[in-house]
Amino acid sequence: MEVVVLAKWVPTTQEEELKIIDEGRSVDLEEVPFRMNEWDTYAIEEAVRIVKEHGGVGWVISMGSEDADTALRRGIAMGLERGVLLETEEDLIDPFQRAFIFKNLLQKKGIKFDLLLTGGQAEDDEFASTGGVLAGLLEVPYASMVIGIEEISGGEITLLRELEGGLMERVKMALPAVVSIQTGINEPRYVSVTGVLSAAKKERDFLSAADFMEGAKGLLQLIRVEIPPPKEGAEIIGGDLDGKVSGILNILKEKGVYK
Amino acid sequence: MSYSLIIAETRKGEFQEGNFDPLYLSDIVGLPSYILLPEGEYGILRGSCDKVIVAPLKEGEFLNPLNIIRLLERTFQAFGEPSAILLPHCSFGIDVAPYVAGRLGWPIITDISGFCRGEEGEIFIKTLYSEKINGHFRLKEGMRFVGTVRKGVFPKVAEVVKETLFEEAPSIEKDPRRDFIEYIEEEIEDVDITKADLLVSVGRGVKEKGNIPLFEELAALLGGVLSCSRPVADRAWLPKARQVGTSGKTVRPKVYFALGISGAFQHIAGMKDSDVIIAVNKDPSAPIFQYAHYGVVEDMHRLAQKMIENLRDQK
Ligand SMILES: Cc1cc2nc3c(=O)[nH]c(=O)nc-3n(C[C@H](O)[C@H](O)[C@H](O)COP(=O)(O)OP(=O)(O)OC[C@H]3O[C@@H](n4cnc5c(N)ncnc54)[C@H](O)[C@@H]3O)c2cc1C
Repeated sequence: MEVVVLAKWVPTTQEEELKIIDEGRSVDLEEVPFRMNEWDTYAIEEAVRIVKEHGGVGWVISMGSEDADTALRRGIAMGLERGVLLETEEDLIDPFQRAFIFKNLLQKKGIKFDLLLTGGQAEDDEFASTGGVLAGLLEVPYASMVIGIEEISGGEITLLRELEGGLMERVKMALPAVVSIQTGINEPRYVSVTGVLSAAKKERDFLSAADFMEGAKGLLQLIRVEIPPPKEGAEIIGGDLDGKVSGILNILKEKGVYK
Repeated sequence: MSYSLIIAETRKGEFQEGNFDPLYLSDIVGLPSYILLPEGEYGILRGSCDKVIVAPLKEGEFLNPLNIIRLLERTFQAFGEPSAILLPHCSFGIDVAPYVAGRLGWPIITDISGFCRGEEGEIFIKTLYSEKINGHFRLKEGMRFVGTVRKGVFPKVAEVVKETLFEEAPSIEKDPRRDFIEYIEEEIEDVDITKADLLVSVGRGVKEKGNIPLFEELAALLGGVLSCSRPVADRAWLPKARQVGTSGKTVRPKVYFALGISGAFQHIAGMKDSDVIIAVNKDPSAPIFQYAHYGVVEDMHRLAQKMIENLRDQK
């Protein structure tokens, strides 16, 4: 089994107050910490387990600035063997274009896969599209938001897709295929900082994304970013800690849920 | 005449509410709307769109990107090429839209939550960076794209009443490379969070499993039930049955008390109809403060400690 994972190095914006710069054209990410896209951590863990069970080679491929090498090193520290980084300083926001560049890479470098995994979505732009577009470009089967891989045998994969409200569907697909992974499918193993550091000794390929742009047109333009216009919004309960606590308790009493 | 093709989702034969947002977006953009569906009865759509096109496929065959692309090729031959292919942003839309975009070579915009038209042309709005930013996207080569649309964001254009034609889509040979086998219902035995009057709900801000008991105690002292956001259930810090949101439970308690939850739309969709929402977050720019009735900017651990002390004293 050749298993390829596409992994993204993303800004962790959940706890940050963001600023808009560049006359409304971009978000200031200078001070924001980056990490492996959460969904990709689950995809890598799944790949590591599949390779362990079925043999073969696991790859982690990323695209971004040189910092994204950390994504490769994390992937390798978790148990994958090969790493490829498509380096670019450009902010490639169009998932169609990104998928096209990955397609060019796979084809030009002769990277063959039985299974290509991506995270269900990236935390930064939440397009949830790169894997699906890539599958379409390569004309191979695709399934998204996979919450269980039950069996791989005889050139087929049986999996569970997560639907809404606790419902799932069981699907069978022919390999090679592209699958996007939903969080919670497994328990990603812990890797230590030293593990990630020592993965730097492993050979990785650093290529320039610019060499794989043939036909990879950007079809989408991000012309502006803005802080979403405020909705009605919450009434803020301020004051000191005691004030906040009694404010909350008063509401609970008013609503009759706490007596 | 150009049109938008809405590929609609049914589950277990039921037309899903999320299909209306792509339909309403199509009305707002000003395109005739054709809705493509699996076998079934769709009288409810009379008056709301220009064509209902029923494919000779069972639901399980229809909800499959590999069959949809074959169906689209035949549908284009029969009805012409649309300028927009729109789907609901859900487990079906996200399965089909990117694949179709790749096969057709068309751009894709997912999770569309706004639209405007101005000097710069047609702009589609999508949230970025955990919903703290709105991105305004423009199609470089004009109106021809695949999009998925967030549920509950576009209102009905009031005056639209259409003469709906019912048609049948051409038949296709199914792609043997992907097969639907069956639906599976998650069965987990635990408390039923949909029955609680008070939910104390914790998110990733809880930080680690060892902190769960603190919030369990808080919930118990208040006479409420502990629930959570997805990352907490993913890590099995709480059972999956406690998860609130699109892929968990939809709840409507008298009070939803959220601590350390940022306010992703998949979470909000599961709790927005609560009578009162109180949110505690250390980040004053957390999107959840836009949806909550009351907000508290505070460290959730410090706040929970203090509440527990107060409640114990009162007992
Ligand atoms: C197909 C799909 C389905 C999904 N279904 C669901 C679903 O059903 N339910 C769901 O919840 N999510 C769902 N998600 C995930 C969703 O997109 C978000 O990733 C998730 O809701 C984030 O959870 P969170 O708010 O707990 O974590 P985060 O977004 O990481 O937010 C943590 C928050 O805690 C705050 N915080 C941190 N420390 C503290 C502290 N000490 N005190 C106070 N506040 C603190 C931070 O400021 C931040 O706002 C789904 C995603 C996909 C793609």
